[in-house]
Amino acid sequence: LLFSQRVLLLVASDVDALCACKILQALFHCDHVQYTLVPVAGWQELETAFLEHKDQFKYFVLINCGANVDLLEILQPEEDTLFFVCDSHRPINVVNVYNDTQIKLLVKQDDDLDVPAYDDIFRDEEDEEEDSEHESDGSEPSEKRRRFEEEVIERTMKRRQRREWEARRREILFDYEQYEYHGTSSAMVMFDLAWIMSKDLNDMLWWAIVGLTDQWVQDKITQMKYVTDIGILQRHVSRHNHRNEDEENSLSIDCMRIAFEYDLRLALYQHWSLYESLCNTSYTSASLKLWSVQGQKRLQEFLADMGLPLKQVKQKFNSMDMSLKENLREMIEESANKFGMKDLRVQTFSIHFGFKNKFSASDIVYATTSLMENIEKEGHETTNFIKALDSLSRGNLDKLHQGLDLAKKQLRAIQQTVASCICTNLVISQGPFLYCSLMEGTPDVKLFSKPVSLCLLSKYLLKSFVCSTKNKRCKLLPLVMAAPMDVEQGTVIMVGIPPETESSDKKNFFGRAFEKAAESTNSRTLHNHFEMSIIELKTEDRSKFLDALISLLS
Amino acid sequence: MPIRKHSQHVKLFKNKGKDETTLRRQRVEVSVELRKAKKDEQILKRRNISIHVKEENPSLGRDRADEIIQPSLEEIVEAVNGDDTQLQLLATQATRRILSRHKDPPINQVIELGIIPRMVEFLGRTDNAALQFEAAWALTNIASGTSEHTRAVVEGGAIPAFISLLSSPHMHISEQSVWALGNIAGDGPLYRDALIARDVIPPLLALVSPATPVGFLRNITWTLSNLCRNKNPCPPLDAVQKILPVLIFLLQHEDKDVISDSCWAVSYLTDGCNDRIQVVVETGILPRLVELMGSPDLNVMTPALRAIGNVVTGTDQQTQDAIDAGVLTVLPHLLRHTKPVIQKEAAWTLSNIAAGPSQQIQQIITYGLLPPLVEVLDKGDFKAQKEAVWVVANFTTGGTVDQVVELVRSGVLKPLLNLLLAKDSKTILIILDTISNLFLAAEKLGETEKLCFLMEELGGLEKIEDLQNHENDTVYRAALNLIEKYFSGEENTDLEPQTGQDGLYDFSVEKQDFNF
Repeated sequence: LLFSQRVLLLVASDVDALCACKILQALFHCDHVQYTLVPVAGWQELETAFLEHKDQFKYFVLINCGANVDLLEILQPEEDTLFFVCDSHRPINVVNVYNDTQIKLLVKQDDDLDVPAYDDIFRDEEDEEEDSEHESDGSEPSEKRRRFEEEVIERTMKRRQRREWEARRREILFDYEQYEYHGTSSAMVMFDLAWIMSKDLNDMLWWAIVGLTDQWVQDKITQMKYVTDIGILQRHVSRHNHRNEDEENSLSIDCMRIAFEYDLRLALYQHWSLYESLCNTSYTSASLKLWSVQGQKRLQEFLADMGLPLKQVKQKFNSMDMSLKENLREMIEESANKFGMKDLRVQTFSIHFGFKNKFSASDIVYATTSLMENIEKEGHETTNFIKALDSLSRGNLDKLHQGLDLAKKQLRAIQQTVASCICTNLVISQGPFLYCSLMEGTPDVKLFSKPVSLCLLSKYLLKSFVCSTKNKRCKLLPLVMAAPMDVEQGTVIMVGIPPETESSDKKNFFGRAFEKAAESTNSRTLHNHFEMSIIELKTEDRSKFLDALISLLS
Repeated sequence: MPIRKHSQHVKLFKNKGKDETTLRRQRVEVSVELRKAKKDEQILKRRNISIHVKEENPSLGRDRADEIIQPSLEEIVEAVNGDDTQLQLLATQATRRILSRHKDPPINQVIELGIIPRMVEFLGRTDNAALQFEAAWALTNIASGTSEHTRAVVEGGAIPAFISLLSSPHMHISEQSVWALGNIAGDGPLYRDALIARDVIPPLLALVSPATPVGFLRNITWTLSNLCRNKNPCPPLDAVQKILPVLIFLLQHEDKDVISDSCWAVSYLTDGCNDRIQVVVETGILPRLVELMGSPDLNVMTPALRAIGNVVTGTDQQTQDAIDAGVLTVLPHLLRHTKPVIQKEAAWTLSNIAAGPSQQIQQIITYGLLPPLVEVLDKGDFKAQKEAVWVVANFTTGGTVDQVVELVRSGVLKPLLNLLLAKDSKTILIILDTISNLFLAAEKLGETEKLCFLMEELGGLEKIEDLQNHENDTVYRAALNLIEKYFSGEENTDLEPQTGQDGLYDFSVEKQDFNF
């Protein structure tokens, strides 16, 4: 992976991609590789960026985009153009998998890809030609000819076999492409690369951790996958941070240390008040059903059970009594168990910058996401991206704090929207799936025109809905959520998410379903997002699109 | 093999020495090689087929294995030589089956069993059509192999047996015999003429009727084409004259394969001395062939073009007959064809017309062939370019001064000079010859200096100068000769501003054409 030429880095807008990008930038820096970074939010931007730069660049690195489509087909690159694709989107397009000249995939060896066998999906050109019977090439007739066994029968057999092969191919590809899901975090893959090259640093490791945590926060991977990957990273963490353990007191002010922790699954609590965090964390809020009066009562009981005075709980976590904080985790866990919240404890990592600043990995994810999807200041399109990227550097605490503030706003907005959707019964069962549409004018609705925020909202809403409904069947349904995207253009953004169940494999079939529904109704849709289950759609086409989706999935 | 016009023909217009004749002969050799290479290519293709098919064969074989148990070779010999007709049939069928499989048919082993004479005997069992058919098929496949394989069949006495089976009341048997005879005829002139001597032609032609099924007709046409094929010697004239009317009938058929093989047959018949060409021309088939030359189907266009190309290697009158049939209206399209082979053959055809008298050269101009010719010279496939160089060479040799001026005006010079960079010294020599022809014409007009100037402007002089370093001695001498004769010393003195007094032949007019 040593380049003598400039490289174009195309990076998608998600935290895992940012983390992978940071690692790669550090590696490039190490090896004095020149590069140009272009953030791409969707397919259109990817295409434009490629067209703009294809004359100056031969090497393109794609992070968290590009794996799940036929890149050569879409971009029509020159033959000497080379793509390095590091993308957690699955399934990987089969053409990308089997192209070994122009497309290099960075994938973890042990990732289970289940790619169909080459022979099952590709046929050599020669065979094709032959099936079109004797081709017309104007060659002289042969001098002698042998008569073969029942030529007619053979030809029809051949044709039949070809038809069967094609049917099988369709079936295999259908199975393979039916569900969208995510593989190993790109940041982790990139870190692996650094490690193999013996160029891994503690900073890179932290970015890998944040990348993985992003996948977990966004609910992109299974609990099982998360725990496995945490285990892998934990080994790296102890390798990089062990020397500090016995000399903890000698830590300098700007030193950074990563530690593995069993922490509370409470969003941002160390930078908030415990009370706010409990209210705005999806897990606690859904479990306690905080949108109802009884829910609020349950919260009081829960706090009382822990024996925490309300005054203490509502003030800044930093300012809480040290005595209370000492056994806080154990106390909370114990009470949470009584209230049916058995999974409040999670395995994660935290980072210390000197003595003063401590952040958990999820803090960083929330902060970075909010910076990336910040809607307050409409600066240049890429400003948010650059800011978010910068906030990941250890020197940029002010940007990080700004991100944390935005994240609090975002979580509050999500929680309020969830509560209002549940209380006003906005989630309706459409038969094969649940549906919820945010109206124009709803508070914070602008925030949810952004894909990551909308996905988070959808996931929190579905969790809460599952806790609130008594309808057993509805508990098992996936959710489709729509929010206004651009009022002037009359478009909505729509996302589909898989059902919220214990054993969920996090596989999402909405990508294909959206495609089919759009096709059959001629709806004006735009599959612009790297996540296939997010689409943009003309508002007036929405109802016919939904009707098609319902009949398709029934 | 089609050949370039006979050397006498060339000498008539060229008045050149031995060099020219040797050049031509070499060209024939090259084209022989090419055709051969093409055939090899095709063989390769056929092998591809069998390789591919083998995958599917197991399942096919399995199906059949359920019904029939394949006997061993020993069992086959025993049964074939025995008296039980049922066993004879089964064994013959088994033999036919193993010879029909796509992969490695055991032709040699079957021959070594010594059962061919017995199989030939089965051909005569008019009481047992099934046995006749199986034996015919098996023998067909043995004859489809090498010359040695074919010989084994012939020496087993198969020729008269198959010829009499042509008149079998069972159509599938007669069709199989046509196929077998085609394989024997395709082996070469010896067996071809042996068949003709046994009077194969009348019963074969009798099978052709408007009611004959297309598949059968294809087999007959192919066998007929093999009876017309090969030289040294050519097929007997009376045989050809018997076959021709039927071929002409077949050329009107609607089936592309029938037409294609008929065209190939005609192309074989025209590939010979002028007397043989004459026999074909006299049938009046040329217009139809020209029509087929314009067919979109490559399998039809290629042999039709080959046949017409052969005709114009003939006498001036024969060439004129082809021109009258419209060949010059079709050639522009073929010169621009996407397939290099077609371009090449079209250019070859044109080169032979350009070797004709100036009236025919005039028709080349009139029918607008110069623009496509320049295109081929400029951007065509290299083999086509080489043929196009021949067109220009012949044109400048036999054309009048006016015609040569017309040629230069069409922009031929620039691409022609570019081809001096070719790696092929024969081509370079022809071009140098052509240049010298151009100077001869210019001299007659008193425009030598203008041509010099034009040459220099188009970078020709530089290229010719470079050729003095060429490794080939003949090229070196030819280049040197041109330089010494036309480009030595004081050429630059009063050249540029001079406009032609006799505006008619002013070469400077041509310059504008080039810029365009």
